[in-house]
Amino acid sequence: MTATEWARISNDAFNVALFAYLAAMVAYFAYLAFRRTSIWTVARTLAFVGLAANIVSVVARGLAADRVPWGNMYEYSSLLALLVVAGYLLIVEGYYGIRTLGGFALMFAVFTMAIAVSFLYVGPGPLVPALNSYWIKIHVVAAISGSSLLALGSIATILYLIQDRVERRRTAALAARDPAPIMGGSIDLDVPPDFAPDADEPATPASGDRRGRLPSAATLDRVAYRVYAFAFPIWTFAVIAGAIWAQEAWGRYWGWDPKETWSFITWVIFAGYLHARATSGWKGRRAAVIAMVGFVALLITYYAVNLWIVGLHSYAK
Amino acid sequence: MAASSPPPTLSQSLALVWRTLRSMRTALILLLLLALASVAGSLVPQSPNSPARVLAYRQDHPLAGALYQRLGLFDVFGTWWFALITTLLFVSLVACLVPRTRALLRAVGQRPVQAREIDAFPQYRERRVSSAPGDAIVASERILRRRFFRVARDPDRPALAAEKGILREGGSLLFHWAFILVLIGVIYGKGTGFSGRAVIVEGDTWVDAAANYDGQIRAGRFFDGRFTGIGVRLIDFEDRYERTGQPMDFVSRVELLDADGEPIRREDIRVNHPAGIEGLRLYQYGFGWAPVVVVRRDGGPIASEPIVFVQDEAPEGVPQLAMPWRGVLKLPSLDPQVGIELELWPDSRAFVQMLETGEPVAMTSAFQPLIRYAVWSGRLTDPSPLSLDTTNMTREATGIVGADQVVALEDGAVVDDPAAAGGLTIGFPELRKYTVLQVSRDAGVPFVLLAAILILLGLLPALYGSRRKVWVRAEPDGEGSVLKVGGFALQRKARFEEEFPRLVDALARAAGEAPAPQEERVGIR
Repeated sequence: MTATEWARISNDAFNVALFAYLAAMVAYFAYLAFRRTSIWTVARTLAFVGLAANIVSVVARGLAADRVPWGNMYEYSSLLALLVVAGYLLIVEGYYGIRTLGGFALMFAVFTMAIAVSFLYVGPGPLVPALNSYWIKIHVVAAISGSSLLALGSIATILYLIQDRVERRRTAALAARDPAPIMGGSIDLDVPPDFAPDADEPATPASGDRRGRLPSAATLDRVAYRVYAFAFPIWTFAVIAGAIWAQEAWGRYWGWDPKETWSFITWVIFAGYLHARATSGWKGRRAAVIAMVGFVALLITYYAVNLWIVGLHSYAK
Repeated sequence: MAASSPPPTLSQSLALVWRTLRSMRTALILLLLLALASVAGSLVPQSPNSPARVLAYRQDHPLAGALYQRLGLFDVFGTWWFALITTLLFVSLVACLVPRTRALLRAVGQRPVQAREIDAFPQYRERRVSSAPGDAIVASERILRRRFFRVARDPDRPALAAEKGILREGGSLLFHWAFILVLIGVIYGKGTGFSGRAVIVEGDTWVDAAANYDGQIRAGRFFDGRFTGIGVRLIDFEDRYERTGQPMDFVSRVELLDADGEPIRREDIRVNHPAGIEGLRLYQYGFGWAPVVVVRRDGGPIASEPIVFVQDEAPEGVPQLAMPWRGVLKLPSLDPQVGIELELWPDSRAFVQMLETGEPVAMTSAFQPLIRYAVWSGRLTDPSPLSLDTTNMTREATGIVGADQVVALEDGAVVDDPAAAGGLTIGFPELRKYTVLQVSRDAGVPFVLLAAILILLGLLPALYGSRRKVWVRAEPDGEGSVLKVGGFALQRKARFEEEFPRLVDALARAAGEAPAPQEERVGIR
């Protein structure tokens, strides 16, 4: 097949993926509302259809341009959506068995792809010399994988903040209704003693209350932490690989270029989050707020730096 | 503080400062401050990266510009307050790391401590096994060691204590100490290194010496001022483009020469593909046209050399390659002195198009090039080779000279035999290219790279490892014994809940599981 045909296939598959994600998003939210397994099956099937189309689109794009399919913002966005959806299906739904976050993960993918196709589209073409290096395979893959995981974790964090608020209100309401037991009335007596402060454990113990639409705050908090802890070394590696590439291309490994600066800011904030998790008084809500600030920094690193701030990464529009 | 208590002594105050620095809260706040300072550094133009934009900003916003200058916001990463945040962060880091490292070394030297009541641990199971208590403990020790537990036998009875996961703390410490190595590498590399730019015309040789750098050399504080004397001869430079005008490749084909001028080897220097020699790294940075311009007076050449031409920055919407190239030729020996402004159009079709339609066309390669010139006479005051100050000069003539042509400067008429012509003539026999290489030395790179690898190596166990402690006790029970196993994890407790039963199964199997495994007590307390 010719490059033009591959390009057309890529664009068609992109549209299929976008609409399948959109439909899957609606279905996942319907599942969140009605909790019918049949709705979930439909949502999951749609998400997989979208994922398959997304993969076809990315691969065909690479064949059309005869290079790695991540050479500009449009292509990054397509790959980012792919990895967020794949990460959700494999990690959140596959590993943790949480099905109620699908709508939010797909919403992120839909926004990313819609922005890409509306504002960032460019036809397939060769790489500019500055990007033509084997480091593009290493650095960009690490950066997009890290971004997609950080985005997934942030979805869990947003929902944690919501759910935590709901649970606190409920606890407060319960406490107001029933007078506190005089002594030892707590149901938590058989909880093991805490041996040491631990970043893995949620700040608020599981309430065991399963009536909520969302997973419990404790579960959301734990999932978010595990995903961030998975993403952080990848992001660290992406920054390091970027520095090695910068040394090869520009003769210095660090020059406080806006992209470098913002990826560093993102890294510092998530490092702060990981430390906050292990600090008493900062666990829970405060740590979650730090993670949210980190997510905003990630979005700035990803979009704003390339589109609005002049720097060495401006060619990656 | 109560009124009666004495004021704190100096050592008490210092201890308080030290404790504050050591706390995680301080480190967190410093980390967030570092992020905040970096945000400022990315939003305000930075003079080391884009001095032109800083200048423009200061012109557009004089008040804010002056304030920013005062606060150092145009060079955030070079200000005292950025250095202060970084220094405090590193001091806090060391303050935190020293006691932790000491504790880790102590823990490594120590044997796991025996427990008195193992059934009180969060995880606890009992199994009946066929071996005698002593043999059961020997078997358990073998299994635990195979799973990388450190094991200590109880000298008084058939029991043991085991633990693993010290790598978690070790990894965390390695991760944090590696930042000290980053700091050392950066200070050493930037302090003793330098970076500058070399402009080399095709066919010429550039020698690494202070005077030969184009513009300013950015040298570190401890730079010893010694240059290598190596030579770089530019064989040719090639730039290739797509039909759309998108650049495809920039290559400087060079021959590297040692300090005595003897050739060492040839290299192709590209974007993303630098060359290295004697601790120097050469990077493809820029390029341009360098036409050879010959000026004769009464037939005898008075100037004959390639002149480096530069471009003005293209206005919005105009491709950079559509801009003409500007150069200056100065003839100080004439009386009155003469300066010639030159404007090169490497592709004359673009010049014609510009005249006819006003539409800019990118000139990606040379095609019947031409040079427009303006001759000024008077006094040369501007020493720069790239610009001509015409305030004290009068314009004598303008004209156009094509490739391989010679024209009389006075009236622009084409001269057939330049050697016989009277007055001043200008010729344009050859169009060459020049390359701009960035030359830099940074001996700290290997240290920073090593530190980066250590950071990653440390990060993995620090995030994914967990400390687990297990105790095993065997008590006689009929023919065999009862194996009592207790334990807990300091981190990743949920995962340990799954790991623990499997571990107990393995221990029981090794000690000879009783025919009908009857679990007497199961559960998570």
